[in-house]
Amino acid sequence: MNNLLNSIAGWGVNIAIAMTALRTNLMRSILTTLGVMIGVFSVILAVAVGNGAQVSVTQQIATLGSNMAIVVPQPDSGSGPPRSSDRGRLTERDGRAILRQVSGVSAVAPQIRSSVQLVTPGRSATTQATGATPEYGVVSNITASEGRFLTDGDVGAAARVVVIGQTVSDKLFADANPVGETVRINRVPFKVIGLLESKGSNLGNDNDDQIVVPITTLRQRLQTTAMQGPDDVTLLFVGFEDEDALLAGQQEIKRMLRDRYRVPKGRINPFTVRTTTEIAETTGQVTQIFQAVLVAIASISLLVGGIGIMNIMLVSVTERTREIGLRMALGAKRSDIRNQFLVEAAVLCVIGGAIGLTLAVVAAAIFQKVADFPAPVGLDTALMSVAFSAVIGILFGGYPAIRASRLSPIEALRSE
Amino acid sequence: MTAPLLETHDLVKDYVIGGEVLHAVNGVSLTIKRGEFVAIMGASGSGKSTFMNMIGCLDIPTSGTLLLDGIDTKTLDSDELAEIRNRKIGFVFQQFNLLARTSALDNVAVPLIYAGLGYTERRERAQAKLEAMGLGNRLQNTPAKLSGGQQQRVAIARALVTDPLMLLADEPTGALDTQTSLDIMGLFQKLNDEGITLIVVTHEPDIAEYAERRIVFRDGQVIEDAAVKSRRRAVAG
Repeated sequence: MNNLLNSIAGWGVNIAIAMTALRTNLMRSILTTLGVMIGVFSVILAVAVGNGAQVSVTQQIATLGSNMAIVVPQPDSGSGPPRSSDRGRLTERDGRAILRQVSGVSAVAPQIRSSVQLVTPGRSATTQATGATPEYGVVSNITASEGRFLTDGDVGAAARVVVIGQTVSDKLFADANPVGETVRINRVPFKVIGLLESKGSNLGNDNDDQIVVPITTLRQRLQTTAMQGPDDVTLLFVGFEDEDALLAGQQEIKRMLRDRYRVPKGRINPFTVRTTTEIAETTGQVTQIFQAVLVAIASISLLVGGIGIMNIMLVSVTERTREIGLRMALGAKRSDIRNQFLVEAAVLCVIGGAIGLTLAVVAAAIFQKVADFPAPVGLDTALMSVAFSAVIGILFGGYPAIRASRLSPIEALRSE
Repeated sequence: MTAPLLETHDLVKDYVIGGEVLHAVNGVSLTIKRGEFVAIMGASGSGKSTFMNMIGCLDIPTSGTLLLDGIDTKTLDSDELAEIRNRKIGFVFQQFNLLARTSALDNVAVPLIYAGLGYTERRERAQAKLEAMGLGNRLQNTPAKLSGGQQQRVAIARALVTDPLMLLADEPTGALDTQTSLDIMGLFQKLNDEGITLIVVTHEPDIAEYAERRIVFRDGQVIEDAAVKSRRRAVAG
């Protein structure tokens, strides 16, 4: 216990000596600290932005709906280079067949997507229209926060009704309640029956900038690109009961579609079946690489800061060789000298790290506000930065400190 | 504790300069008893400073034996040598070697840091030594605000603060005017009267006459070792 107290007191003395030395060369100390500060600042900010990207992606995936497969009539690029002749078809009949034959499927939501223009008196907006059925709401977790969502009746009657997203509503109706209003979509009048519950935005992608109309209505009145058949869809969302069903179902859907379109053996699939789990994994990997690259670049500035510390400590040791010799003559052990310079480097780094951390927290908050992008600086990041600065101090202060401690007392004393 | 304070047998220190071996100290055997006041004289290059550095455990002999307070210094590692410098030896340098921008009090307290003493005790002991040197009203002055004589007294207070067995002074008056030099030598005599062993390296014959024994070096060897005949006494200032 006594030993421990003594060693703590010993470090206290070293910190006092370090502070005196750093104050003596204040400008130099500040510039050196600046290097570490910028390094820690950029590393923390990089980690925060990377974390933010991951959070954002996770949210994006969540808005798609979980345990869902997406079927598109595009060649599966995973099984070979795609050719335009491989492009397949997908119909509502296929969707019904999947619901009937594939086990564990809870709902199938056929969709047609088309770009449309909306006009109200004095205002207009361009957005993406999804022609859908009520199942779309079930599978993708979409509900109406005002009014109502599509019904089977709307689809059966090809009613001219529309459910609009928050962003579209803001553009066309400002703050007014849009439900019950009339809007012209590609010059055709539609009645607004509901407002989609807001899903926010991720990675600059506004989930509220869309409208939903009955699939039948879209096909009859809004479709601009020709389809191969009257029953064709742009894509199918297939909802599953649970994750196990999803994994098994993915293969089953592929087999079934191959059979239905009589795809010869050896030919690649003219359609792609992706699950939300796969999408989450792929984008997760991409954001991880994105984060790694960011952190790697930021680390270079920290490395440069560390080299700055080493440089200045070497200068400091050289300048104070005589002082080192004197301290040795007065009874300083090698470890005392080594610790003195280590503490000096560590103090520089910790001060730089603390300022860098503070600035990074502020910058992340500003970034979050301005760019509407999450950049969380967690406790783990803060602790990591403290550890980082300490390691930098020991790593780059270590060599000069050991060099100082190895000096012969008499040679050090004699130096001018 | 009847062993002599210092005993050397055939002490040698060689330097290799440009491929040639220089015998800076070439076989010195002598004994210094407790309480002696010894002056070591010689021209520059005679080996007196090298000898001084070895007995101060700042430099390591090439060969020969050095017994300090009965301990063979060959058997000690660098940490143990540091401890001997801290506890048993006080150094006084020609250029004072005080830490700049550091108060007299903090300068004197430095050896006590390495002795492992706590803050309060360090300050109390440093203050007591400074007061004993007549510098009780200069505790917070930095070296820049002290005269040469005052600086040397701070340095002496620092050398004495760990209550060492002996004081080693290398040209302690070299940077001082005549009157201040006399004051410092008077102070040394007073300290010697109080029981501390003093070894002073000087090239000034006048200064050497304040000691009781004079050892003269030439070419790395002792050529004269005798009691000072007409010893001077100074009134301590």
